[in-house]
Amino acid sequence: MRTKYLIGFLIIVAAIAYLAFGGLGNSLVYYVLPSEYAENPARYEGKRIRLGGLVKEGSIRYDPQTLELDFVVTDGVVDIPVQHEGTPPELFKDNQGVVVEGRFDGKVFKGENLLIKHSETYQAPPEGGYTPEEVRKLIEEAK
Amino acid sequence: MNPGILGNIGLVLAVFFSVAGLVAVVFSWFLRDARYVRVARRSALLAFLGTFVAFGALEWALLTDDFSILYTARNHTSASPTWVKFATLWAALEGSILLWAMLQTLYTWLAGRKMRDYWTSPVALGALFVIQLFFLVNVLFVINPFTPVPNPPADGPGPNPLLQNHWMMAVHPILMYLGFVGLSVPFAYAVAAMVTRRYQTWVSETKWWLIFAWGFLTAAIFAGGWWSYEVLGWGGYWAWDPVENASFIPWLLATAFVHTAMVQERRGLFRSWNFALVTLAFAGTVFGTFLTRSGVIESVHAFAGGPVGPIFLGFLLVILAVGFSLLGRVSSEVRDVGSVNVWSREGLLLFGALVFVVMAFVVILGTLFPLLVEAFNGAKVSVGAPFFNQLFVPLGYAMLVLMALGPLLPWRRAEGETLRVLAWMAVSLVLGTAAGLALGWTLWVSLTVGLFLFNLVALGWLIASPIARKSRALGGVRAGMGSLAWTRRRYGGYLVHFAVALSALAIAFSQSYRLDVQKTLQIGESWQVAGRTITVHALRAVEDPHRYSVIADVEISGMGTRQPRLNYYPTSRTPFASPSVAYTLGKDYYLVLQAFDQENAQWVTLRLVVTPLVLWLWVSAVLMALGTAMILWPARRAARAAAAGEVGA
Repeated sequence: MRTKYLIGFLIIVAAIAYLAFGGLGNSLVYYVLPSEYAENPARYEGKRIRLGGLVKEGSIRYDPQTLELDFVVTDGVVDIPVQHEGTPPELFKDNQGVVVEGRFDGKVFKGENLLIKHSETYQAPPEGGYTPEEVRKLIEEAK
Repeated sequence: MNPGILGNIGLVLAVFFSVAGLVAVVFSWFLRDARYVRVARRSALLAFLGTFVAFGALEWALLTDDFSILYTARNHTSASPTWVKFATLWAALEGSILLWAMLQTLYTWLAGRKMRDYWTSPVALGALFVIQLFFLVNVLFVINPFTPVPNPPADGPGPNPLLQNHWMMAVHPILMYLGFVGLSVPFAYAVAAMVTRRYQTWVSETKWWLIFAWGFLTAAIFAGGWWSYEVLGWGGYWAWDPVENASFIPWLLATAFVHTAMVQERRGLFRSWNFALVTLAFAGTVFGTFLTRSGVIESVHAFAGGPVGPIFLGFLLVILAVGFSLLGRVSSEVRDVGSVNVWSREGLLLFGALVFVVMAFVVILGTLFPLLVEAFNGAKVSVGAPFFNQLFVPLGYAMLVLMALGPLLPWRRAEGETLRVLAWMAVSLVLGTAAGLALGWTLWVSLTVGLFLFNLVALGWLIASPIARKSRALGGVRAGMGSLAWTRRRYGGYLVHFAVALSALAIAFSQSYRLDVQKTLQIGESWQVAGRTITVHALRAVEDPHRYSVIADVEISGMGTRQPRLNYYPTSRTPFASPSVAYTLGKDYYLVLQAFDQENAQWVTLRLVVTPLVLWLWVSAVLMALGTAMILWPARRAARAAAAGEVGA
């Protein structure tokens, strides 16, 4: 009887150890704003992350024929150029809150998945632009 | 009389008769008088009729476009087609909890009718009455859909467009609730068994209910996957979204319990383990609701929050506290007598159950991990599919090995004759894997092919060898086949196992070999891709009362014209893509209209997802449902006697 519990216990311990040291660490996707990335770029090198921010005004370049979409994500302090392939979502426009999932390739962020974060109440950007805290709040409150 | 008043009357009656039933079972318990159990059964029927009236009242309001109550004012629109109106009842929180409450009262009544043991039935019925009162009180006082609206609007916003986009959304929630609610019956029996200290018989008494609930839960998960595939437009069927996980956790725990319950029924082992598992499985159904309704987890289709989250969390804790405190009280009495030989059916069933429990643990951990990390260091993280896949692949292989071996090994100890087939299985595993590798498939896919054959040989032997034995004994294959009807339940189990192996194959191929491409095409232009020619013939718009659609007529060579579309609903600023899927036995061609030229209608952007063997996932779902039905179908009396004789011998 003891051995039964021991085996079960060992399997569970092994599973947890595998999760903690092998599994979870590499498959966690961090969510960062551009200025958080700029503080410590090495930390996110080669890792899959979700980059949140606003689409910088006037930065959208999209060619529907080649499906290449280039734009800049900003949190009011740091700008990050993003390259994405695929159709932009319907509400994708200047000053829109977005979350892009992908990886950094040098200075450019290669997006693989583009999500729109739109709040129900649209507000014009404040005078002098957003601060990172305002951007974070804007994106978190959106759906 | 209006729907709001009728609905509240129904709910009040349901609460009244649930309380009456509870009082009756308390009397029957303390006075040791079985007549009160009969009173409680009648109350259970009346409580069900009360919730049925409330259900009918809400349907009445929906079908007659009555916006004087909160639920319709918030979630309904008169522009919906009739089937959408009917299904709107479970498209939002209040209505779906009402449906849950109605099914719970139905189960309480039906389960009560089957309770024969006058010793345990007061407790089991009492537990079911308490559970249904939880839901009824919530529907009546916390999230009452019949709350009158002071100034009824002329029309409402309608249900979530995603739910209107496919008929499956009318079916999937009902299957899911039938499964969720069904697990309350084994739980109630387990509580009764622990209270009355009759630790053995509850397992066989609730086996039917357990498998019934399991079958619906299985069907619901596959139906949800198919809905996701047909509606969400990304070409996949499972995203490890918290809502999906919420249904998967109780399924995994119930699956573990189905297997160890067999051991207890047959050998009287694992009694404390079964009490713990049934508690966890039932708690899992409430945990899922808490997760998806509380807003603690961000999800693509989480419902809005409100007070329901904390209430369900409290209920979850009560279930766990009741289950485990009772178990703690009786634990010294339910300790197993005798030992388990690992190399026997019960040994492998235990390992199989452990695999399922570890899987459930992985899903819970992955779902809650973002919360833990955020509480710990404030970082916002998400746990993606790679995490789950990394752990589920090895666990899935363990499952595939165990499910082939388990039914093959005899109880107590394996012996020479049964071991011989193992050699054949090992050969088929090696040959299948080698053949897969030779065909250039990845190691994981090849291994899945090998394990599929491994299972196939095991099942073939399990089916063929008794036929051969009976044919020899009875003189003729026909007589041997005839004897099979007596063991239909066993063959139902084999069919479910075969379907699981088949779905593993479908999952391995569809996850490993997927082509996902996008291209912008001019109207009339052709695109050579994945061995087919795709031509866009036209782009047109269609207007319905409840939506506006843009449709592309796209021809896939050899498969006719497909109509992927974008649906625009008045309540949503973004369109909803409705993909068009060309199903084939080999590969599915999945077309999504991503964007179109809004000025001149000159071009469209299409997304094409080509996935192999997805169809077999839906086939295996049907086979699982058939297998479950075979197990559940009542046996003929002669067969029952024969089965009893077999057990006795």
